Amino acid sequence: MSAASIIFYIIAAFILGTGILAVTTRKIFRASIWLLFSLIGIASLYFWMQLEFLAAVQIIVYVGGIVVLIIFSIFLTIKSGEEMPKPILKRNIFAILAALSGLAYTARQISLYPFKKPENSAAFELKVGDIGRQMLSTTDHGYLLPFELISMLLLASMIGCIVIALKQKEPVNHL
Amino acid sequence: MFSLESITTLVQDWLNKTFSPNLALFFEFVIVGVLAITLFAGLGLVLVLMERKVAAWIQIRLGPNRVGPKGMFQSLADTIKLIMKEGLTPDGADKFLFNLAPFIVMMVAMLVLAPIGFAKGFQIWDINIGVLYVSAISSVSVIGILMAGWASNNKYSLLGAMRSGAQMVSYELSVGLSVLSIIVLTGSLGLNDIVLSQQDGWWIFKGHIPAIISFVIFIIAVTAETNRAPFDLAEAESELTAGFHTEYSGMKFALFFLAEYINIFIVCAIGATLFLGGWMPFHIGNWESFNHVMDYIPSFLWFFGKTFFLIFLIMWFRWTFPRLRVDQLLNLEWKYLLPISMFNLILMTLIAIKGWHF
Amino acid sequence: MFIKEYFKDIFSAIKSLLVGMRRTGYYFTHHKEIITQQYPDNRLELNLPERFRGEVVMTHDEVNEHACTGCSACELACPNGTIKIINKFDISPEGKKKKAIDTFVYHLELCTMCGLCVEACPTDAIKMANTFEHSVYTRGQLTKQLNKPDSKLRAGVE
Repeated sequence: MSAASIIFYIIAAFILGTGILAVTTRKIFRASIWLLFSLIGIASLYFWMQLEFLAAVQIIVYVGGIVVLIIFSIFLTIKSGEEMPKPILKRNIFAILAALSGLAYTARQISLYPFKKPENSAAFELKVGDIGRQMLSTTDHGYLLPFELISMLLLASMIGCIVIALKQKEPVNHL
Repeated sequence: MFSLESITTLVQDWLNKTFSPNLALFFEFVIVGVLAITLFAGLGLVLVLMERKVAAWIQIRLGPNRVGPKGMFQSLADTIKLIMKEGLTPDGADKFLFNLAPFIVMMVAMLVLAPIGFAKGFQIWDINIGVLYVSAISSVSVIGILMAGWASNNKYSLLGAMRSGAQMVSYELSVGLSVLSIIVLTGSLGLNDIVLSQQDGWWIFKGHIPAIISFVIFIIAVTAETNRAPFDLAEAESELTAGFHTEYSGMKFALFFLAEYINIFIVCAIGATLFLGGWMPFHIGNWESFNHVMDYIPSFLWFFGKTFFLIFLIMWFRWTFPRLRVDQLLNLEWKYLLPISMFNLILMTLIAIKGWHF
Repeated sequence: MFIKEYFKDIFSAIKSLLVGMRRTGYYFTHHKEIITQQYPDNRLELNLPERFRGEVVMTHDEVNEHACTGCSACELACPNGTIKIINKFDISPEGKKKKAIDTFVYHLELCTMCGLCVEACPTDAIKMANTFEHSVYTRGQLTKQLNKPDSKLRAGVE
């Protein structure tokens, strides 16, 4: 076993371990911290694959954005410091079944897909400029339309947020 | 001419000659780790003393002057005191997270150090997405602060952590945009490429007014991101005693304290790299003889000189300006810095496309 | 106009920040103006500012005369009862009784150095002194008599 595969197994064990801890802990804040570690583990897996850009984006979006959002919402919840009650057995069993069936489905899909070995490992090297050009290209495999659609979606949701947060005018009494 | 590059290549050659490649790599890791920790300890000692001296001189005081000549060993004595102190964990605290938080903050500070080029050819990791890496990793440190605030089981800590979180998340945007405006000029995210692109002059001079505007915005925003006065609402001592590290004592407090100073050093190093040319000596266009004279000053001196100049600037802010209120803080970011930096980015893109910069 | 106001705001803000930084920068580069005293080291050549308030004293001239008439204006002015004036009645040569001071009691331990008594005094008999080394072993030693023994009211002071 080479050093690279040892590192892979360590990272994989870290991701799985923290993932399991995230769903089994009974303190909600700790669950979010375990989730954070799991996401950082995935980012380090990307680093291991030398996909630095993807790893950095993973950290920015998930760790810097989503987990912080989750933590903030936990902070604003009442009684979030207390331990949650033990889940009932039936729910546990069904949750495990759902997880296992999801795992089986994914494993089958992966085993069916004919992964091609790249001819040379240099094909893996991604330049950030290329990613940017791909994002804005209108040719085949260009991502301009989805990119703009997502930006429209985000703009719409932002405007929606502003409208919700706007101060309501005093209702006028029409007698 | 003295340079650190020759030393690093010498060490690497010797290691590779004497040991097997794997072992040599391992030893290099060890050396880098030891150097990083030494740098941290040294920086902590120097910056704390520097802060106290700058504060004293600005307030027409003398500052620490009892321990050693001119008070030079004051921070060393403080460190020894902090090591001796008992690290208390308050009742009702989430012990695991409480003890984990300072290490997370510290580890983040250490990780961010990796892509910074200290001198010519003296860089731990020349990652091709350097700037993105820095902004990604430094966004993790907010988690450490939130964790500390939550786990302390103290209302001051929680309030401080929440303020700090809101502040860091919102000011990251301005930092990102002002950094982007330099990336637009260089066309590369790697910190080494950015330094090399300033061979014929630093970006702050080459990039006209937009570069100066983004430099100002960068300095303001990183002051806010490192939670320093006038943006130190997270630890406002008159309101929240000490914010998120109220309950910490001993070495765990020292880690938070050290991480704060390391973060200042790192953001100033990034600022020096982006705007002031990193380790690149002061060059003017193609004045060969002038540039040659400047090259005689070692590159690490240039780097540390610029970085410490920026650190001094941030300390100067701290002892000049009063603390902002929360609404003023958010107004400053969302109504002033963000729109200006967005507009500035568009202007900079125009300059880069038209090739108006030097 | 909104845009004009916006930019005016920004420029005035930057200007005021620069003014502040100029001031602190001036202090940073002018170490001669440092007013801090390195107290135990320079105890002999201590150079305290004139208006430093250490304790209340009563001025006596060389023939042991003071200007305190015993009007107790200072006692009334004192916010926390630091001063207590005990009067006696002197018999003047004409056989008239005249109010004069017997003991001017001053409780240093209660004094906040506000200086209201000095302002209240109509005859400028008391003033704030520069001395500040007040630590003693017992509390009683802090209760002082300000008029020296056998001192008299200066002639002509009413």
